[in-house]
Amino acid sequence: MNQINDRTTVNGKKSRSRVLEMSINGEAHEITVKPRVMLLEAIREKIGLTGTKDGCESGTCGACTVLVDGQPTLSCITLAVECEDKNIRTVEDLADGENLNYLQEAFLDQGGTQCGFCTPGMLMSATALLEKNPKPTRDDINKALEGNLCRCTGYNSIVDSILQVSDQGVKPRLL
Amino acid sequence: MNQLRHVGKSVKRKDGPDKVTGRAVYCQDVRLPGMLTGRILRSPHPHAKIVSIDLSKAKALDGVKGVITIEDSKGIKHGFVETPRYPPDQEVLARDRVVHVGEEIAAVAAIDDITAQAALELIDIEYEILPPVFNPHKAMQEGSPEIHPSHPKVAEKESFSNIGGKTESGWGDVEQGFAEADYVREDRYESHLRTHGYLEPQVTVAHWESDKLNVWTSSMGAFNKRAKLAKVLDLPYSSVRVHKAYVGGAFGGKIDLYSHEFCAARLSMLTGRPVRFVASREEIFSAYRHGQPLVVELKTGVKKDGTLVAQELRIINNAGAYRGSGVVVVFLAWGFTMAPYRVPNLKYEGYSVYTNHTTRAPQRGHGCPQVRFAIESQLDTIAEEIGIDPIEIRLRNARVPDEELPNKDNVHQAGLQECIKIAAKKTNLVAKYGRDRKSPPQDTSIRRGVGIGISSYMSGTLIYPNGSGVIVKMNDDGSAIVLTGAIDLGQGAETVITQIIAEELSLDMDDIKIIASDTDTTPQDIGAWISGLTYVTGNAARQAATNARAKLLIVAAEQMNVTADDLYLDNKEIISQSNPDNRLSYREVIAASVANHRGDTVIGEGFWRTMRDEPNHPSLATTKGRWTENYAFSAQTAEVEVDIETGEARLAKALTVHDCGFPINPGLVKGQIDGQVSMALGHAFMEEVMTKDGYTLNTSWLDYRMPTIHNMAESEDADVITEQYEVGQSYRTKEVGEGLVSGILAAIANAIYDATGVRLHSTPFSPEKILKGLRELERHQK
Repeated sequence: MNQINDRTTVNGKKSRSRVLEMSINGEAHEITVKPRVMLLEAIREKIGLTGTKDGCESGTCGACTVLVDGQPTLSCITLAVECEDKNIRTVEDLADGENLNYLQEAFLDQGGTQCGFCTPGMLMSATALLEKNPKPTRDDINKALEGNLCRCTGYNSIVDSILQVSDQGVKPRLL
Repeated sequence: MNQLRHVGKSVKRKDGPDKVTGRAVYCQDVRLPGMLTGRILRSPHPHAKIVSIDLSKAKALDGVKGVITIEDSKGIKHGFVETPRYPPDQEVLARDRVVHVGEEIAAVAAIDDITAQAALELIDIEYEILPPVFNPHKAMQEGSPEIHPSHPKVAEKESFSNIGGKTESGWGDVEQGFAEADYVREDRYESHLRTHGYLEPQVTVAHWESDKLNVWTSSMGAFNKRAKLAKVLDLPYSSVRVHKAYVGGAFGGKIDLYSHEFCAARLSMLTGRPVRFVASREEIFSAYRHGQPLVVELKTGVKKDGTLVAQELRIINNAGAYRGSGVVVVFLAWGFTMAPYRVPNLKYEGYSVYTNHTTRAPQRGHGCPQVRFAIESQLDTIAEEIGIDPIEIRLRNARVPDEELPNKDNVHQAGLQECIKIAAKKTNLVAKYGRDRKSPPQDTSIRRGVGIGISSYMSGTLIYPNGSGVIVKMNDDGSAIVLTGAIDLGQGAETVITQIIAEELSLDMDDIKIIASDTDTTPQDIGAWISGLTYVTGNAARQAATNARAKLLIVAAEQMNVTADDLYLDNKEIISQSNPDNRLSYREVIAASVANHRGDTVIGEGFWRTMRDEPNHPSLATTKGRWTENYAFSAQTAEVEVDIETGEARLAKALTVHDCGFPINPGLVKGQIDGQVSMALGHAFMEEVMTKDGYTLNTSWLDYRMPTIHNMAESEDADVITEQYEVGQSYRTKEVGEGLVSGILAAIANAIYDATGVRLHSTPFSPEKILKGLRELERHQK
C-alpha cells in the first residue's frame, strides 16, 4: 500500500528537512524540521518548551504569542524556517529561576490569570509592549493586547496588571 | 482568636506561579513515549443511513496502527442524564445512522498527524441520505422525520414527534390567577446559539498499560469522566485512572463524555501505545457541543400595584441530535423562573426537542440567562404599562428571608431585596430611568440607558457523584498535605480549599500542599460543574481539618495536662489559654501521637453532601423533590450606549450586587463576576454560532467574535453578606461562578429599551434589530 507522510514525494520532490539554528530564551538550539513545521510546533515538540499554548492553530486567539527579535509573533502561523538565526523568547524566559518578574507578580496581584491558558501569550504581548513603552496608556495597552483572547477575566484585571507594573497608580488587589 | 486569618481574604492563587511561568501542565502538554496521534472521521451529512463502511485501505496504510468503528465497542450507550425515563441514547460512535453533521463514525491512530489524516481519507462510506429537521417547532409536528424512533415517548398524550424530554410543573390555579389579575401580558422571547469559547481545545491522552487505563482529559470533574469512560469500556472504576491536568477553561463544555475520549482509550487498548486526540478549533465549532437556544412563551398577570398573581411558561429547547443536557435545561429553566419572585399561581411546561443539530452541552448559566432575559424584559414592560418603576415592581415580588419555595426548599437568609435596593441606589436608577427616551439629546446620535435584571442560582444539587471527600494528612513537621478530588478550572478551587484548611488548622498557606483531581489518589468529588464546589467540597475540607484538629487537641491535652477546651491553635502551636507558657508545637504533638496513639500520624477525613436527607435529585419530569440548600441572589444593572444612526449598542458599565453568602476569597469572586459580565456582553452583542442545514458557517474566532480587550466593560460589584464563617462550624456559601451571566443580559436588554424605546424580544442585540425597532417607532410616531 502507498505511503503518505512526511517522506512522501509530491510531484517527484521529497520535502527535505532543514537544520535551523535559533536562540531560544538565550540558549542556542539546532533543530531539524520539515519546511511546513510552524514555530509553535518547533518550540513545543522539538525544543520541548510547552509553556507556549496551542489554542486554535489559525492565528485567531494569541495563546501561542512569542517574541521573535522582540516582536510579538503568532507562532502557530509562523514557519519555523522563517526564524533561522532569530532570537525567540517564550514565557519560560520571564522568571529568574523561582523568582517571578514584576509583570508575572502583577498578574498574580491583580487576578490577571484564571484558567491560565491565555496567560503565556498575554505575558509575551505585554512584555513586548513594556519594553518599548514603560508607561503605556489604556489605548496603548488595548492596541498591544488586541490579538490575545481571554475568556475568563473580561480583561479588566489584565489591564490592571499592566498598569500596576508600569507604576500608574494601580495597587495590588490580592494578598 | 476568632479573627479570621485566611478565610474572607483576597489571597493570591495557589496555582498562580505555575500559570505565569508556563510550568502548568495542561492535557496538550502531556507527552508519553511512543504516543500515537488519533483522528476522527465525522459525518458530512445531518441525517443519513450508513449503508457500508470500508476500512481496508485505511488499515493497510503504512504508519496506521489502529482503526475503529462502533463494532470495536461493547455497544454500551451513555448519556448526560441516565434515568429510567431518560435512558442513555448515545453510542460512542455512530451505529448504522448519523443524526448530525460532524457525528463521529470511525477513528484512527497513526504515527503522525499527516498519516492519521491520510487514513481518514481512505475510509469509504456509503450513505443513504435521510430527510433532516432543524427547527424544533417543525420537529414537534406529526409526520416530521423521527430522529430517534426507539426513544421512549415521554409526552404520550401529545401527537408531537421528537420530544426528547418534557418538564411539567405548577401550583395554584393559573386560570383563576389570570382572572383576578388587573393586567395580563403575553410575549415570546428567543435566545440564540452561543458557544463556550474555552481557549484550550478538547484534548485527551489515553494510555493502557498493565491492565490500567491512564487518562489525561480536558474535564470539569475527573470522577464523572471516570464513571462514563469505565461504563462504555466495561471496565471496573479501579482500572481507569483520570489524572490531574490543568484545564484551560470549560464553561460547561467539558463535562460530558465525548466520543474522542472513548476512541483514545479504545485505540490505546488495541495498539498498546499511548494515543492522543486533539480537537481542532474547526471541529469544536462545527461538531462539538454548544449551549442551548430556548424559546420562552411567557404569560404574566399582575395586580395594579405590580404584585404577580399568575404566570404561565412554555419553553422549547432546540436540543440537537442526542439528549445531552437538553432535558436538564428545561428542568433548570423552571428553577430559575421560580426562585427569585413569589408567584402564587404558576404553570410551567418545558420541551426538549430532538433536531439534526449538534448535541448541546450545559453552558455557564444553563438556562438561566435565557429565562431571566424573558421574565425581566416582560416585567419592565408590565411596570411601564401599569405606571410603576422597575425597582418597585421587583421589590414587591422579590423573595424575602426564610421563604419556603414551592419545591419545599428554603431561601434562608436571602439577600435579594437588599441587592435590588443597593443596585438601585448605586446607579441612581429610578432618577436616570427614561431620561434619554423621554427627552432625547439633540446634539448627538448616542442614547444612554440603564436597566436592571435579577437572578437566583442554585449552589450545588444532587447528581453523580453526589458528595465530596477531602483528606488532610499532617506531616510530622506540622505542615499538611491535602487530597481533594476538586478540579481547578481557573475559578480558584485549590486556593479556596487551602484557605479553609489553613484557617481551621492555623497554618500558613505555604504550609499546605494540595494534590487534586486524580481519581486514584484523591477522594471522590462532585466536580466543578454543579455550582457547589465551594459549598460542598469546601465543607468537606473544613470537616477534614476539624477532624485533624480534634486529634491534635486530644494528644496535646494529654501531654499538657489540661482539658482540650482550654487549648487553642496558633501558628503551628497548641497553647493553653489558662497558662500561655504551656504550649507545644505541632511537631511535638504529632510525635506524641505517633508514640502514644499506636502510630497515629494524624490524618483528618471530611466529607459533605448537600441535602443529606434527600435521597435523590429532583424529578426532571415533575420538578418534585428538593433542588438545592443555598440559593444565591443578585441584582445587576447595565448602563448602555446606543448609536441610533448605526444601531450599535455597547455596555458601558455593569454593576453586580450579589448575595454569595460569605465570600471565602473576595478577589476570586470579583474575577468570576468580571468574567461573567464579559461573557454576557459577548452573548448580548457579538457572538452567534450561525448554522445552515445543520452545518456551522462560522468555524473560527475570526467569524465567531468573542470580546477582545477593546470590548471591555467597566465592572463594579458589591457583596451583600448574609452568612458567616466560624472556625469549626459548617457554613453556607452560595454560587457565584455562573448565575451572574443572567441578570446582566436582561439588564442590557432593559437598558437598550431605556435608551431607545426599542424592546428586543430576541438575542443577540444586533444593530439590525435595533435599527429595525427604531424605524418601527418612527412609523408609529408619524
